[in-house]
Amino acid sequence: MGANTAAKKIGFYVGIVLVWQALDMSGIWDDNVFPSPLEVGEDLWYGAVDGTLWFGIGTSMWRLIIGLAIAIAGGIILGVFMARVPTVNQTIGSLVLGLQSIPSVAWSPLAIVWFGLTDAGIIFVTVAGAIFAVTINTYTGVKNINPDYIAAAQNMGARGSQLMTKVLIPAAFPYMISGFKQGWAFAWRGVIGAELLFSFLGLGFLLNVGRQLNDVSQVIAMMIVIMLIGILIDGLIFKRLEDRVMSRWGLR
Amino acid sequence: MAKLEAKNITKYFDHDGQKLTALGGINLTVEDGDFVCLVGPSGCGKSTFLRIVAGLQKPDGGQILLDNRPITKTGPDRILVFQEGALFPWLKVRDNVEFGLKIAGIPESERQQISDRYLDMMQLTKFANSYTFQLSTGMRQRVAIARALVMDPDVLLMDEPFAALDAQTRDLLLVEMQMIWQKTKKTIVFVTHSISEATVLGNKVAVFTHRPSTIKKIIPIEHQRPRLAEDGSLQQYQQEILAELKPEVKARGVE
Repeated sequence: MGANTAAKKIGFYVGIVLVWQALDMSGIWDDNVFPSPLEVGEDLWYGAVDGTLWFGIGTSMWRLIIGLAIAIAGGIILGVFMARVPTVNQTIGSLVLGLQSIPSVAWSPLAIVWFGLTDAGIIFVTVAGAIFAVTINTYTGVKNINPDYIAAAQNMGARGSQLMTKVLIPAAFPYMISGFKQGWAFAWRGVIGAELLFSFLGLGFLLNVGRQLNDVSQVIAMMIVIMLIGILIDGLIFKRLEDRVMSRWGLR
Repeated sequence: MAKLEAKNITKYFDHDGQKLTALGGINLTVEDGDFVCLVGPSGCGKSTFLRIVAGLQKPDGGQILLDNRPITKTGPDRILVFQEGALFPWLKVRDNVEFGLKIAGIPESERQQISDRYLDMMQLTKFANSYTFQLSTGMRQRVAIARALVMDPDVLLMDEPFAALDAQTRDLLLVEMQMIWQKTKKTIVFVTHSISEATVLGNKVAVFTHRPSTIKKIIPIEHQRPRLAEDGSLQQYQQEILAELKPEVKARGVE
């Protein structure tokens, strides 16, 4: 990132805070409804000092990691089988397309009935939200593999699981990364959404507590944390992974 | 002794709902240590035939025998070098070359020994840690050949591997290919559309007819090596092949 870009970014965010502060000082809205940036900052500070913020972040992240890991592993397997076995595609494939259109939070009622208000329920929602994006991108990736790669690998003796791990998955990886990125975004929404509904620890829970206590600055503080984590994970993990694979393939 | 035998290989294609006979009964005997080049009008099915020999496509009739045993599946005893190389872009050059050895479960130290030898033979040692996109087309085909040779196949199958190369690179590889053949004593079946390439490389040139194709004639090329593309004394062979090929190309043209 060039100095110029960085300067623009910093200027933009400083501008937002200033406008926010100005709106707060204008007195149009009551402070209970529209807190100042300082109050939100204080809220974050107190949360950080007494540990509730870290515990919330830790809980949500833990659920995200478990859910996303299951979604990625399951999505890859399902996607590869859909791409390689016509019967699987003709049956499960059509269902996957339909299931993908269900927002992750819409799985929450089922999850509550099946798992109760537990971690397992929230993780279920996370997996359900993310797995189909991974599946579909993996499917597309495997379908788009240069058929000569597969023929060459089979010619050299690769079969079954070796073909899958040494050729199909790495060859489809550029597509699969798009699936991971989509899947992670869906998973994060799923975690927060489910925590809101389940009201069982985590950042979504803290968000909901803020609403129940009419503490709007906590609500906004939690939204900022959720967003920051989103930016961090995308930039630190998925963007890097993508850059690495793309440059290795010479696609960039 | 016959290393490889094709017995009455037929193959049909579905073309706009029409059944098209691509291969109309290919019979070919390849002796141990032969370098057989297949030439024919484009679209005659010589590449399809090669893939059938590799076991990557199934014939609709006939049989392929390797050392008198019928083969049905693909396998590392017949390694195919693809026209575009089909190198794996996610692997470094060395890992590409070692791919088949890894699949075969050969331990790393031994793998490295074998790949070192063939990387050196193909003058790739400097590029062992490069990714394939960093290489020129000619270098990529060298990697593809090295990847095939490490498998020590009974028969090496090559599908127009030099078609996309510039003239200088190709001339160089034509000489090296002859040296590799002499050094490794491999049995090679090589598909090309270039008559001069066929006469430079092959000790036999098999001419395919137009569809439904059969092998029209096998012309032995007895000439000292290394042969060069501009070698004037190969011309008599080239004339002979051209005379066989011309009516076939014409038959394709009026279709």
